[in-house]
Amino acid sequence: MDLQSKSIDNIKVLTLTGRFDALTSPKVQSWLEDVSKNQPAQIVVNLSGVNFIDSTALSTLVAGMKRARQAGGDLRLCKLQQPVRMIIELTRLDKAFEIFPGEEETVQSFSAS
Amino acid sequence: MLRQILTRNHNQIKAIAEAWFSSGANYFGVLENETPLFEFRTRSTGDIELTQQLLRAPIDSNVRVEVRLPGLVISGAQTRLSAEANLIAQVIRLSTNLEGLTAELIDTQDQLLAIYNLTQGTRHYIDIEKLLKQLAKETAELVRADSAFVVLEMPGQSYFVEHYPEKMLDDRYLDLAYRSARQTGHPYLSSEELRTKALVNFLLVPIRILDEPSAALGFTKKTGDFMSPDMKLAQALAEHSGAQIENVLLYKKNLDQMKLQTELELAHQVQLNLLPRKPPHINGLDLWAASRPALQVGGDFFDFQQKKGHPLSFAVGDISGKGLPAALLMSMTRTAIRSKANDTPSPSPGDIVSEVNEELYDDFTDVNMFATVFVGQYNHRHLIYANAGHSPVIYRPVRGEARLLEADGTALGVLPTSFSQDHELTFQPGDLLVVGTDGLNETQNEKQEMFGYDRLLDLVNTVSDFPAQEIGQALYQAVTSFGAGEPQFDDQTLMVIKGI
Repeated sequence: MDLQSKSIDNIKVLTLTGRFDALTSPKVQSWLEDVSKNQPAQIVVNLSGVNFIDSTALSTLVAGMKRARQAGGDLRLCKLQQPVRMIIELTRLDKAFEIFPGEEETVQSFSAS
Repeated sequence: MLRQILTRNHNQIKAIAEAWFSSGANYFGVLENETPLFEFRTRSTGDIELTQQLLRAPIDSNVRVEVRLPGLVISGAQTRLSAEANLIAQVIRLSTNLEGLTAELIDTQDQLLAIYNLTQGTRHYIDIEKLLKQLAKETAELVRADSAFVVLEMPGQSYFVEHYPEKMLDDRYLDLAYRSARQTGHPYLSSEELRTKALVNFLLVPIRILDEPSAALGFTKKTGDFMSPDMKLAQALAEHSGAQIENVLLYKKNLDQMKLQTELELAHQVQLNLLPRKPPHINGLDLWAASRPALQVGGDFFDFQQKKGHPLSFAVGDISGKGLPAALLMSMTRTAIRSKANDTPSPSPGDIVSEVNEELYDDFTDVNMFATVFVGQYNHRHLIYANAGHSPVIYRPVRGEARLLEADGTALGVLPTSFSQDHELTFQPGDLLVVGTDGLNETQNEKQEMFGYDRLLDLVNTVSDFPAQEIGQALYQAVTSFGAGEPQFDDQTLMVIKGI
């Protein structure tokens, strides 16, 4: 899986491409830990390139979200492909995460809140 | 030096001097330039007689022997003295050679001792970094370099380097030397030009680890060249270091495997001991459940419980994670659900889910995991359930199509408060509830396609007339043949509840 990250203002955007599973989760986990180390992290995870997600990957995102919220930040998701959207809806994680169709509006959602 | 050699041969020189005295000489000396190194005189020496004859013979360009003979001229005296001077020269030469050889012998012995120390010192290391430090230290001394370093590639990472006593070679040149040596398989010796740039002379010998060129031993010298014996020694040390590194890596691999194996066995034990061996007999229900653990155990569980005065309660859960932590959290979750279900009056499934979530939320947060659970109760044709993020749950009424019962709340440990509500089904003969875990629908075939929900739903429709056990086995069978040849990545758990 490929990870690409950028910063827009203070918001960290991570774009993932490929299979997001137990094998690739550690890379995402360490990225999430890095960006939320020193500050309340405002994180956008763009899942546009992810066509498979498993429960380990979901718990990585949940852990990142919980850590960010504890510090007053958040982790928000955008551009979910259908198979990923289905898993997230079936596990009702759509109630836990703020999910947006596009990346730009996800980034903007932080300044609105 | 010369004086020392002569002193060691004092007796022989004295014997030569005495032979001259018995031939009438009154003086015998060995002189370096004009300074006497040894002098022997007869007692009567004191006033040198004018008639005495002075004989001289060179030992080498600076050293000579001198004999003074008063009075008579002995024929052949000069020839005799020259022969003796040659003899002394020969003794000096041999002694010098002997000293050289002795020094070399001591050196070699020192090296042998150091190599012995190296072997002894490194054979007990099981920590790779400590071993590399030790190798750098010992080999630096052996090659008499100013610094030594060991390079080692680790799988999936770039290489790392241990220096002793400190880093003396810039990373750029080290990298250049390492890549070159790795590619050619031959030692890399710094060129004149590189030496000037890097400010040190350096030598790097590639090492093969488990038949791959993935390490190297390097040395730096601020002054002086690496000569042929240094190169040979460095190569021998590189081979030795390779063997030591291999040993440690293999040992570590075995240890890791053993740890993993122990963890797997423990997790299997936890899981197997907690799963009910037989479902209870309940009037109006046909029950069956099973769990197939993956090689790397996940955290699936199922449970039935019937306590007097309470409805039948059941649960299926899946901890997001693998190995021992998942197995332990699974047992905690299962125990918490069991204990809540035993409360009087009986809490509803929604209450159980909510209370267990509150109780375990911090534990789940600490280990970065969560658990999807489906909790149900059955009492006289009424089935009440709460679903915290769990899937697949398939309900097929006796006259109708199979459909997924989707969760309304998030999994335990995701949010501090649970959203899961109670839902009620009237459960008549022929009605069917199949609760699985995602290890079933996420089973993949060789094309990396997933078994998916649609196949599960179709299959439930097809086999719904069978008894619970046969339905369960048919589902397992279908999933197994779909994923034939591919390893099972996740636990697969199935609970079948059928109204009769």
